[in-house]
Amino acid sequence: MSGEKISVRIQVNERPFDLEIPSHHTLLDVLRDDVRLTGTKECCAEGECGACTVLVNGEAVCSCLVLAVELDGQRVTTIEGLISDGALDPLQEAFVSTGAVQCGFCIPGMIVAARQLLASNPNPSRAEIQEGLAGNLCRCGGYSRILDAVVLAANSRR
Amino acid sequence: MRPFAYLRPTTLDQTIAALADPEAKPSLLAGGTDLIVRLRRGHLRPSVVIDTKGVRELRPEIVSVDGGLRFGARVTMTSIVRDARVREHFQALVEAASVVGSVQIRNRATLTGNICNASPAADTVPALLIYGGVANVVGPSGSRSVPLAGFFTGPGRTVLARGELLESVDLPFPKVPVGAAFGRITRRRGVDLATINLCGLVSSDGTARFAFGAVAPTPFVASDESGALAASGSDHVARSTALRGLFARARPITDVRGGREYRAAMLEVMTGRTWQLAATRLRERLRAGSS
Amino acid sequence: MTTPDWIGRSHERIGARDRVTGALRYTADLSFDDVLHVKLVQVGGARSAIRKIDRGDALKVPGVECVLIADDLPQPVARFGPAFADRPILATGETKFFGEPVAAVVAKTKDAAEAAAALVQVEAEPLPAVLSIEQALDPASALVQDVSLRPKDPLANSNVLREWTFGWGNPSEAPPDLVIEHDYRFPMVTHFAIEPHVFIAAPDANGVTIWTPTQHVFVLQRVVAAALKWPIAKVRIVAPDPGGGFGGKGWPKFEPLLAVLALRLGRSVRLVLTLEETFQQARRTSARIHAKTGFDREGRIVSQELNTDFLIGAYADIGVRVVSKASYAACGPYRTPHAKVTARALLSHTTPSTAFRGFGTPQASWAVESQLTEAAGLLGIDPVEIRRRNLPRKGEAFIPNDTPADGDWASALASAERALDWHSPLPKNRGRGIALGLKSSSTASASQAIVRLHYDASVSVLSGTSDMGQGARTVLAQIAGKELGASPDRVVITMGDTAIVPYDSSTSASRSTVFMGNAVIKACEQIRRQLQTIAARALGVDESAIEVVPGEVRTPKGAMSYAEAMQVGLGPPRGEIIGVGEERGGGYRPEHPLGGRPEFWEFMCTAVEVEVDPDTGMVDVTRLVLASDVGKALNPQQVETQDEGAATMGVGHSLMEELILDGSGRIVNLGAMDYRIPTIQDIPRELHSVLIENEDGPGPYGAKGAGEGGILGIGGAIGAAVNQAAGVKIRDLPLTPERIWRAIQSARSELP
Repeated sequence: MSGEKISVRIQVNERPFDLEIPSHHTLLDVLRDDVRLTGTKECCAEGECGACTVLVNGEAVCSCLVLAVELDGQRVTTIEGLISDGALDPLQEAFVSTGAVQCGFCIPGMIVAARQLLASNPNPSRAEIQEGLAGNLCRCGGYSRILDAVVLAANSRR
Repeated sequence: MRPFAYLRPTTLDQTIAALADPEAKPSLLAGGTDLIVRLRRGHLRPSVVIDTKGVRELRPEIVSVDGGLRFGARVTMTSIVRDARVREHFQALVEAASVVGSVQIRNRATLTGNICNASPAADTVPALLIYGGVANVVGPSGSRSVPLAGFFTGPGRTVLARGELLESVDLPFPKVPVGAAFGRITRRRGVDLATINLCGLVSSDGTARFAFGAVAPTPFVASDESGALAASGSDHVARSTALRGLFARARPITDVRGGREYRAAMLEVMTGRTWQLAATRLRERLRAGSS
Repeated sequence: MTTPDWIGRSHERIGARDRVTGALRYTADLSFDDVLHVKLVQVGGARSAIRKIDRGDALKVPGVECVLIADDLPQPVARFGPAFADRPILATGETKFFGEPVAAVVAKTKDAAEAAAALVQVEAEPLPAVLSIEQALDPASALVQDVSLRPKDPLANSNVLREWTFGWGNPSEAPPDLVIEHDYRFPMVTHFAIEPHVFIAAPDANGVTIWTPTQHVFVLQRVVAAALKWPIAKVRIVAPDPGGGFGGKGWPKFEPLLAVLALRLGRSVRLVLTLEETFQQARRTSARIHAKTGFDREGRIVSQELNTDFLIGAYADIGVRVVSKASYAACGPYRTPHAKVTARALLSHTTPSTAFRGFGTPQASWAVESQLTEAAGLLGIDPVEIRRRNLPRKGEAFIPNDTPADGDWASALASAERALDWHSPLPKNRGRGIALGLKSSSTASASQAIVRLHYDASVSVLSGTSDMGQGARTVLAQIAGKELGASPDRVVITMGDTAIVPYDSSTSASRSTVFMGNAVIKACEQIRRQLQTIAARALGVDESAIEVVPGEVRTPKGAMSYAEAMQVGLGPPRGEIIGVGEERGGGYRPEHPLGGRPEFWEFMCTAVEVEVDPDTGMVDVTRLVLASDVGKALNPQQVETQDEGAATMGVGHSLMEELILDGSGRIVNLGAMDYRIPTIQDIPRELHSVLIENEDGPGPYGAKGAGEGGILGIGGAIGAAVNQAAGVKIRDLPLTPERIWRAIQSARSELP
């Protein structure tokens, strides 16, 4: 029973990865250790902090709560997948300019979650932003700059 | 996490067979938001995890059925919150589903998973109870329907027998206009598990139904047919007495989220507030309906 | 030619781009070939006698390299610690706190390490544990530390690790018109940086290298060297930028263990703690403070008597320093004619308490500010006004023979009063609170910096400061840029490697802008002098004929850029100009209770308005104002965001954070699910940051330090506001909804 590996093909940031992985490894484990994308962070490993947020088929999820083997044939987008041609997107620029980034450890998860928020709600109110980012903990900052960043990014897209 | 085998059946029959396999210690995996946590903490040590996401009969959609809505086994909290029909007819369920964790959790967590995990503090259960939800169970001996009011047998325990799973949940549309509301107490304003939660439904026929979570080994439902909880015209004293009667069965405990006395006091406060909100919504609905 | 002034600008944070793209590599992101994975084995409960450890089954797991226990180590087991070397590398004989490991499993994969760790069988007998201040003081309680660890210590037969008496005047000689006397409690809370602890060690040709996001590379270096009995030079510490520190990543934890493992196995080893394990390893010192404050009828303080009892953990860590530093200045930023502070650091069988933003001052401030607010109420004086009456003027000594008040503190108070709209009508169920926080910055410490001016006049700065979110790199680049006339984009800061950067005491006490900033300035001054010399030599003129300003060398024949000056001065062989700077502040004073005078005072006025739901006890912070006296904000955005972050952290310990222990000392709310910190939905509806800048600090361009101010007084401010809104008097933090509700019920039942 232990150690049996399963073959899956997961699309990560638009590249296919053929992986042989144990069924008990989470998407977070596999992204960091097998696919070698370390932008997605591990903190609570229980879905409470949001540091491990990625998009699965366009939806924000905690990658620590998904077994990698569940995602055969599915699409995953990580923080690394948000840049195109080396340029930051307006959301990333906004995080930089508003002072939302301090130690930065929460930031990849925060940006991925904010990305999905803006994709489904391009002009969110502050309360809606708070609800969309309620699952992402930050310990360095007071969150208000993060709110400002999302508002700024939303305005810059219009 | 300990290793386990992983199955991804494509049919319900395969799923039931795997679940019923006497040689196995199986766990069902839907959204994973409860299961993965329990696996990581070692609270569950299955030999095999059965992923339901490939099973064609276990649906992710909410469909209209005769007189109500049927929530497929793979319906997520996000789908519930977004569905116009649920928002129209089952407002308290939308409120409850929208506080289950964060967006990330709600994108994966399924309604059936929340039910079968059977935490006494499950947020969606009080809503399902006041709307008279019915569980459609399938298993080795076929299918059966179980009113959710009788589904829970203890903390983390349900009537599901070995090999059984929840295929869907039916919520019948209310037959008369109602107003309903969800309420809960948490330790912080942000994402949290409930210290207590409850739902109240006030009906235009003067009856009311309330359901309470996190104040007893299982969520429970209580009705009042006396008319004391009608949305309009009821006497304040009779109403208070009737409200208190609704949660007479509560047996709150002290745990890391709250003390016994506080829970008991909050039951009283929140039952009153939830009734107010439900009654207000009913009155608004009646006013809107009559214009 | 004029160079833009980089100072006072909110220059884009260096490193922000790497953080928003996920490109920055934190310690757990580093890749090592052939690294072995470590998993620690612990027993349940706080204190257990280790009877037997059976490794047989664990060693059979494929991929396991070793299972190390204390008996494997040279005896007696080496002990380490930044102040007292009291902590064994692995628990020996007895575990002293919940989470102290008894064995370390090393394996080829994480899975194998985890599987093997679960198979290590430990026979452990629970022993009675000291878990509270009362238990620590009870003579009948067990001794947390063996008397043999404290030879010649008259307190060795108690759990009082250290005690102090500070003060001046004589409180009994000063009869007050009003005495307020109460006990205040501050809970056990944990740092909860979003990056859990991680430690990697590898043997190398020179000795051993350790990778860990430590805030203080040189502390770690000397502690590990001492534990190994090695020369300092053979230990290399590499510290990637931490994902949050707040003091929790300051002081050594498992680095000595990892070094031992790496050396025994001849391989690199890696330990990543779970969040739960991280909570077990570091916390803030909890406290019970008995405060007796005497006032005259105008609200002026006549005397303060404080008994500050701090519960430190099973090992001293830096806990003793927390107690002494905070207690010494516990009377706060007030004229106190007579003061007596008796302080005790009490050992317990709990998580080692360590540095945590504020370093004991939030605990003291909670008590003292609450006392002032209560006095204001009883005397019919406005809470802002009572503080105003007691504030020393700038330049006035408020602790005899020590650094006087070094800022216009009254203007910070007035700013906060205005920004909160303090005197506007207060809606129902709302309350307002104001509190002052004062923290001693670094006393005797040292920072050295090396600055290299390259041939093209780009700049490298080598600094031991840790950039853990406060933006140290950016500030140092701004300083070097200003001093040398270079854009910060042409300044590269290297930090966090003891093999490269020169000595720095620590990244703590809000000291780095001042100490490291001044060191960088001095290094740049050396560079300018060297430019003067080489330009003079190259041009055949006297040095007095050359004037070097930032970015420009002015000669009798005209001005040159630095690059031109180096080309002319160094010629085709090229080279660079190296400057070394050192800042030691006022220096070490052995006669001073803290070893030196505070280099500056970190002062913050916090004002808050809250709304309390009287039926449920839920609190909504409607407005939060922070007014800090920073001297000069070299990067205003960075200062503001640090203040806001500190205040938010303080909202946590004020309203929701508390580690809960069961009877056996096990922490029952480990992890994110049941240890609640503020989320984006818990923040104040409105937040205002005011920076008071009078350029009156000892740091670069008149700067003082910042970063801790926001967390100092917020408990007192929120407490005052909640108590007013709810009509209660709660003196224990956190003010959870349930606690507030209970207090409301008690208050109601006392009504006639």
